[in-house]
Amino acid sequence: MSEPLQKVREFILERNPKLDEIPDDLDLIDSRAINSLAFVEFIFLLEELTGEAIDPEELDLDDFRTLKAIEARFFTQKATL
Amino acid sequence: MAVREIEPIVLELDRLEQMAESGYYNPYTMFEWPDALEPDRPWMSESLTTLAGTPMWDELTREQQLALTKYEAINFFSLNIHGIRELMSEVVMRIHERTYSNVSEFLHHFIGEENEHMWFFAQFCLRYGGKLYPAQPTLKAASVDHLSQVARELIVFARILIFEEIVDHYNALMATDQSLPHIAREINRVHHQDESRHVAFGRMIFLNLLKQVAGRDPEEVPVVAEYLESYLQYSIGTLYNPAAYRDAGIPDALALRRRALAHPARVQAHDKVLKRTRAFLSKAGVGRELIKR
Ligand SMILES: [Fe+2]
Ligand SMILES: [Fe+2]
Repeated sequence: MSEPLQKVREFILERNPKLDEIPDDLDLIDSRAINSLAFVEFIFLLEELTGEAIDPEELDLDDFRTLKAIEARFFTQKATL
Repeated sequence: MAVREIEPIVLELDRLEQMAESGYYNPYTMFEWPDALEPDRPWMSESLTTLAGTPMWDELTREQQLALTKYEAINFFSLNIHGIRELMSEVVMRIHERTYSNVSEFLHHFIGEENEHMWFFAQFCLRYGGKLYPAQPTLKAASVDHLSQVARELIVFARILIFEEIVDHYNALMATDQSLPHIAREINRVHHQDESRHVAFGRMIFLNLLKQVAGRDPEEVPVVAEYLESYLQYSIGTLYNPAAYRDAGIPDALALRRRALAHPARVQAHDKVLKRTRAFLSKAGVGRELIKR
């Protein structure tokens, strides 16, 4: 797992004391691990980790649903470009 | 939206309705909008900016400090506009529900007044700042789906109330801050006046719905308490807009935001802003001390 993804994991665990671990394919939104009140903070975290702005009008929720999807969308794309 | 399994809400609102009628004003004619604001005045009280009380504020040039008051004022008014726009639409949907028929008269005043507030806040931002900040991204999905219907009703009005109480903390202070341009003071003053009625109503309807939630299932009260506490934290977070830092010419906006939010002086400032609301929630029996960890 990449280092930024570890930060993402920590962010989620910190806000969900009842979770011990986060399976890579856990639906973070349906499970409310990231609820609407935490979402803005979450976007800011991803922006800071990637150094890129995320346009709120162009959000595709599926990019945020699982750690796997987050890794693919935000933390591997650039390496392959 | 059917609101069954909820008792009709009956509140003693005669006095608030009379005040709304007698205090009615025409927002479109009551303000005198100057062509421009004096360049050397802050638009928001310096002590209310998100860096106040920290070394991060002291490190700014005077120019950056003034720019920050300007963009944080625009952010504050933008938050008002988007926040109330979303919550008002919830109220509009309920205005002729049977549950709310007894309070419908007051809800009409509420909607009318909020529409006017949106207008004068936007007027200020667009005239002097040339823009509003966009609404923050939200997840429409599911954040209260785990709650009962009556608890969800409670949450709607609780969000309005909490939002209004936080905003009012700022309005009340800026209404008398002589360092601000006159029009900025006026907007804060007029809003503060209307909001005192909204807060009074908000607290009454909150207590009514909370009693219904507790009567239905006392176990749900701590779940509501947890949601409300995270809503308080969320609301504070929205005041720290990285776009405002960037516009004020301050580098590393996201890292700055993170540092500022966690700074002890700011944590103290947040507690001060939230003190009145937290005391109310605790007294009502739904304070953060109930949260099960
Ligand atoms: Fe308002
Ligand atoms: Fe209001």
